[in-house]
Amino acid sequence: MAESAEKLKILICQGTGGLASGAAQVAEAFETEFEKQGVEASIGKRCAVIGTGCRGLCANDVLVDVCIPGKEAVTYDFVTPELVPQIVQDHILGEGPIEKKKAGPYYEKFLEKQQRIIFSRCGTIDAESLDEFLEHRGFEGIRKAVTMKPSEVIEEVKKSGLRGRGGGGFPTGMKWSFCAATPGESKYLICNADEGDPGAFMDRSILEGDPYGLIEGLMIGAYAIGCKFAYVYVRAEYPLAIKRLQMAIDTCYEKGFLGKNCLGLGFDLDMRIKAGAGAFVCGEETALMASIEGHRGMSRPRPPFPAVRGLWGKPTNINNVETFANVSYIFYNGADWFNAIGTEGTKGTKIFALTGKVKHTGLVEVPAGTTIKEVIYDVCGGIENNRKFKAVQAGGPSGGCLPSNAIETEVDYDSLIKAGAMMGSGGLVVMDETTCMVDIARFFLQFTRVESCGKCIPCRIGLKIMLEILERITEGKGQEGDIELLQDMAYDIKKSSLCGLGQTAPNPVLSTIRYFRDEYETHIKEGECPSHSCKPLLHFRVIEDKCKKCGLCPRVCPVDAIEWEKGKVAYIDLEKCTKCTSCYDACRFMAID
Amino acid sequence: MVNLTIDGKQVTVSKTATIYEAACEAGVHIPVLCYAKKLMPYGACRVCLVEVEQMKGRLIPACTTPVTEGMVVTSTSDEIVKVRKTVLEFLLVNHVVDCPVCDKGGECDLQDLTYEYEVVSNRFEGEKFDLPTDEVNPLIERNMNRCVLCGKCARVCDEIVGYGSYSFINRGFETKIATAFDRGLNCEFCGQCVSMCPVGAILPRPFKFKARPWQLKEIDSVCGYCGNGCTVTLGTKDNKVETIRFNDKTGVNDGNLCVRGRFGYSFINSEDRLTKPLIRENGSLVETSWDKALARVADGLKQSGSETGIVTGARLTNEELFLLRNVAKALGSENIDHSGGECYKGLTEGLQQTLGLQASTATFPQVENCDAILSIRSDFYETHPVFGMVVNQAVRRNDAKLTVIADKRGKFTKLPEAKTLLHKPGLEVNLINAMCRVLLDEGLAKTERLSGVDELKAALADYAPETVAETTGVSVDAIRTAARELAAAENAAILLAYGLPYTAASKELGIAAANLSLLTGIAGRTGSGLYVCGEKNNSQGAIDLAVMPGATGLGAQQMLSAAAQGQLKALYVVGEDMVSSYPDRKAVELALDKVPFLVVQDLFLSPTAQMADVVLPAASFAEKDGTFTNAERRIQRVRAAVPSPGDARTDFNILSDVLSAFGAQAPATAAEAFAQLTADTAAYQGISLDMLGAQGYVWGTDILTPITRNLVAVAGSKPLDAAHQLLVGSALYHSGTMSTHAKGPMAVVSEPYIEFGREDAKALNVAEGDLVKLSADGEIIEAKAKVDNRLPQGVLFAPYHFSALGLNKIYRGQPAIAVQVGK
Ligand SMILES: Cc1cc2nc3c(=O)[nH]c(=O)nc-3n(C[C@H](O)[C@H](O)[C@H](O)COP(=O)(O)O)c2cc1C
Ligand code: SF4
Ligand code: SF4
Ligand code: SF4
Ligand code: FES
Repeated sequence: MAESAEKLKILICQGTGGLASGAAQVAEAFETEFEKQGVEASIGKRCAVIGTGCRGLCANDVLVDVCIPGKEAVTYDFVTPELVPQIVQDHILGEGPIEKKKAGPYYEKFLEKQQRIIFSRCGTIDAESLDEFLEHRGFEGIRKAVTMKPSEVIEEVKKSGLRGRGGGGFPTGMKWSFCAATPGESKYLICNADEGDPGAFMDRSILEGDPYGLIEGLMIGAYAIGCKFAYVYVRAEYPLAIKRLQMAIDTCYEKGFLGKNCLGLGFDLDMRIKAGAGAFVCGEETALMASIEGHRGMSRPRPPFPAVRGLWGKPTNINNVETFANVSYIFYNGADWFNAIGTEGTKGTKIFALTGKVKHTGLVEVPAGTTIKEVIYDVCGGIENNRKFKAVQAGGPSGGCLPSNAIETEVDYDSLIKAGAMMGSGGLVVMDETTCMVDIARFFLQFTRVESCGKCIPCRIGLKIMLEILERITEGKGQEGDIELLQDMAYDIKKSSLCGLGQTAPNPVLSTIRYFRDEYETHIKEGECPSHSCKPLLHFRVIEDKCKKCGLCPRVCPVDAIEWEKGKVAYIDLEKCTKCTSCYDACRFMAID
Repeated sequence: MVNLTIDGKQVTVSKTATIYEAACEAGVHIPVLCYAKKLMPYGACRVCLVEVEQMKGRLIPACTTPVTEGMVVTSTSDEIVKVRKTVLEFLLVNHVVDCPVCDKGGECDLQDLTYEYEVVSNRFEGEKFDLPTDEVNPLIERNMNRCVLCGKCARVCDEIVGYGSYSFINRGFETKIATAFDRGLNCEFCGQCVSMCPVGAILPRPFKFKARPWQLKEIDSVCGYCGNGCTVTLGTKDNKVETIRFNDKTGVNDGNLCVRGRFGYSFINSEDRLTKPLIRENGSLVETSWDKALARVADGLKQSGSETGIVTGARLTNEELFLLRNVAKALGSENIDHSGGECYKGLTEGLQQTLGLQASTATFPQVENCDAILSIRSDFYETHPVFGMVVNQAVRRNDAKLTVIADKRGKFTKLPEAKTLLHKPGLEVNLINAMCRVLLDEGLAKTERLSGVDELKAALADYAPETVAETTGVSVDAIRTAARELAAAENAAILLAYGLPYTAASKELGIAAANLSLLTGIAGRTGSGLYVCGEKNNSQGAIDLAVMPGATGLGAQQMLSAAAQGQLKALYVVGEDMVSSYPDRKAVELALDKVPFLVVQDLFLSPTAQMADVVLPAASFAEKDGTFTNAERRIQRVRAAVPSPGDARTDFNILSDVLSAFGAQAPATAAEAFAQLTADTAAYQGISLDMLGAQGYVWGTDILTPITRNLVAVAGSKPLDAAHQLLVGSALYHSGTMSTHAKGPMAVVSEPYIEFGREDAKALNVAEGDLVKLSADGEIIEAKAKVDNRLPQGVLFAPYHFSALGLNKIYRGQPAIAVQVGK
């Protein structure tokens, strides 16, 4: 340990996002450079290039921390292999950090309002190293848990106030107690890592960045409930996560941490990864179990609940990745510590995935009680291109849109539902003035309509019809009464669908009608899209005071319908225009409507 | 029990009941569409949504939600009605609504619900489905434009039939039910999916445009094919059986049928039916009147008297068999027998010597709750498919452990986790002996009340699992596990079917199975049973009524030898095609040729009838009243649904006349005959017709206690030493020779075949459909080859149903026939 404390460390985000931006090449460049320049010899310290998990600011990948012993770590962003020689030369061997290349003050701000508990190991330790995990409190939680009776462990979780992070927010301790109370010799534990919400990737981040931490959470759950077998159902589209977790599981088996008499603590647990079937509905717990059993991912009615009759008909407890990750920390620091974070109804932190028109997209972890506004503006730097904020879709396709007057809503299960959205898995899609709210509703419905498992009638047929009505509205063919029809059928679909997918799929429609009814009306009554975003409703006119006279549009028009002279507002000849929207797409100033 | 309130009514129901079941009990109507009593809860259609006070804020599906104490349920409210209506509107958007030409019209759940909820207009619009229909096979039409995706077809085929033809494909609105690779349906054609489809998406093709449902008359009867004794509800119009109706209220089969029961009814209407008595004049058979024919029969039989032989199949009603026995009595003859006289000896001699019984010890439905099931022969599913479905349910729903002692693979061996003891042909007894030995060696045998333990132990010296493993080719472990599982199970079943193609060692096999049932305690234990099941619809009735040779009488085989030697003066064959289905055709033909006077009473001019001096046209099961007793001792009523074609008459009628001709008294009606026969048959005593309710009446109660508990030592066999061995047996699509006159089964399997395993086929260069020849003992049979992967190397199979194959030219009752394969 002493040796490693002496090491010079280069931490490189090696999550899926980082790798996509070239993290592997950057790491390689550091290795090569260290060798080439004989760095170890010249500074008299061993150098280590460490692949860590995601650290959140994915928009600015590749992120690199240079940690020279005795000095504060320095973070660079947008690092490319080409930049590496300079960092080594100037910073490590030379006089110090290259100020111009350092991550700007936004990085500090990005971290300031966050409370990175679940992410405390992600981005700081080598995700693939069991030793580093052990150095960072690894398995302290399970060691503490086994000193208690299983029922006491469940009590502790109840006391912490932890609620499930999979979307529903069901109190975790209570869920565990149900399954523990069901008689039966063989019980199953499932970790739901299907993460199907478009835009959400916090679970992936945990799997990639702290796989051992997740295993520990599962161990605690298994011990408390009395499960001897755990499945981690991971989305098949997460190859890196699967690889890292498999590696971690294998290592645990090798060391005797899993299998019989785990860690020598006197309980047995086998763990297996099951790659998902690639459907959103497979994240729904009953469909997920059907999928593990080798059936088509189709939801089943509850009751009977999984705690009574779950996987292979046996009592089963299922929780989300982030939920299990929280459990480990509850046992490191105690239920009271956890309970002190957050609001009355929501304890601890929540990770959000920000996408859309926000400056710093990525993953943020904030304590419950932070407002959505703080998340968007303080942590993530506000709206891109300094446009006007319009709404944020919270909770993915099951959630709802919150307008500017609702973004003071706190990160809290109940407050979000009251505001017409939901926590869901923690996806936040930020929209600016250029986004049409009817189109957003259409977008989400399009997603849920194809992802419906097709089992129950309201979801299978109802969502398709809803989508068709939304489509006709965005095409200017909306009819008088469509809004009421949408609301009415949304209500019936929510009431009558079998599973959470159908029960929540109409939410984006309902919340956009609730907050942006006027936009719907304008589409229907005037055949206009107020955000000039619904293509069939475009007029192909140049808005004079928006046109910056840049002359881009005439260059993209395939039929030469645009007249423009230097210094003049462009003009579209509607006789020639084929409405191909090339100019609309190209204009950076939203000057074509 | 749980108490709850539905619409203000108090009900008390079992704690496993659902709200829907409780409502039915309370007489409260809740609409359903995807619910089916016999299938697992599913909850897809959402028309059964109700409100529950304790689960406020959402609507609760009645069909899947278990009741809880104190539940307060509201079945109808404005909100509920609105939601149900919306669901129906959704369904009707894309559905083709072609009711006028849909065979389901008039009994379609979607129609009925639309009507009930007065869905007169639709707020939604969309394109109508335009999917191609599946009309590839001749029996089942699938029109997915009418499908409501209730999943019942897929579920029944999976949960009950265990075939798994259908699966859901695609997602969202594009979801549909499809067969593998979305090809045409090609399966067992049991038609369970047809019977479950609530709309007109899956329909029986033979019934297309035959009648509107409300024009049909429905008559509950019992299937005339196998010993399973399924209730078939005949749908008739204008005195013609047009279809088999779904009926899950009557009988033992829960509405389930096999291809024969569902689609095999058409032999009733066959053009080939005999409609007039025939009499041999100048060497050929010519039509005649009943008077003349009967006079000739009376004359002939009077002359032969006690030297007459009477042979029947096991397809007649109990009443008719009773009359037939009386005919024998009137003739003073004890020469009476059925079904070849050999194949049932496992029951009449095997079980008799061991258990003192001649019947299965328990009923079929019990098997669903068995923990362990041993099927002797994989063919059990072929002979008794609907009982086989109960086995499938036990395996799938209740994780029953199934072991199959099998000379070839089959449906059973493919069930989940089924263990197959695949052995060389003819060695079933060896394996059962080894299992008995394991039980005795390991102290697992329940020997307390048994006699003959020591003798059996001594006799089993040669049947150590290791030895038997070597002879049979089954692993020692498999034998031991099979024995242990059977012994450990609380409820267990042993299944063994008998029939004409399974003549070899039938007695020994019955004894061996009975020994095993005694050592495991299965025989007579509540919840467990030894099932020795006859192949034909009234096999058990024939045994109960002792249609067997009397003390000095000749059995079927002896009658044939006697006839061949000129020692029998007449033979009266009723409902049996001996030439086609008895072992050793040559010997049968010789006997029939030699016998001076041959009377054949049948539905068809069978090869046997063609040799007769008098042929009497008889009636099918659909044309008569009476009773059958199925293989679990259930006596059930058979009812006439249609008149017989032409001058054909019921066997009951004919036999009454024959009796009268001898001056004997015949009961006037089937009911009267039933009263007489029950008085005359020990096991049936005290049973009256009105005791035969919807589920019939099981004589001897559900569990038949063994009278004796004797273990009897039996020797196994030696494997046949031949490179190619032919097995003879039953095939699912047929039963006896009768089904070869029915369009349905013939549409699926229309001709005889010789089945090869892939390895053999490759080695012999035989491809599917090739004409192949098998020779044995100087005889040659020829048929098309069928190639699949059921058979171990060196083993071939041929079904015995097709007369044209002449299989019994080489089949003489051997367990397996050494054959030479050629092209
Ligand atoms: C359509 C649908 C998709 C879901 N997808 C996920 C998912 O990807 N990950 C997840 O953890 N939970 C998902 N859930 C929620 C799960 O059903 C389940 O409630 C959750 O895994 C429970 O974990 P928790 O108690 O830790 O929240 C989904 C639910 C629905 C209805
Ligand atoms: S609500 Fe949708 S996803 Fe859920 S069971 Fe119904 S059809 Fe399937
Ligand atoms: S006919 Fe029988 S085997 Fe064939 S698909 Fe239907 S239920 Fe399945
Ligand atoms: S075909 Fe019939 S039984 Fe099958 S899902 Fe469709 S409606 Fe249901
Ligand atoms: S009948 Fe209950 S959901 Fe279909």
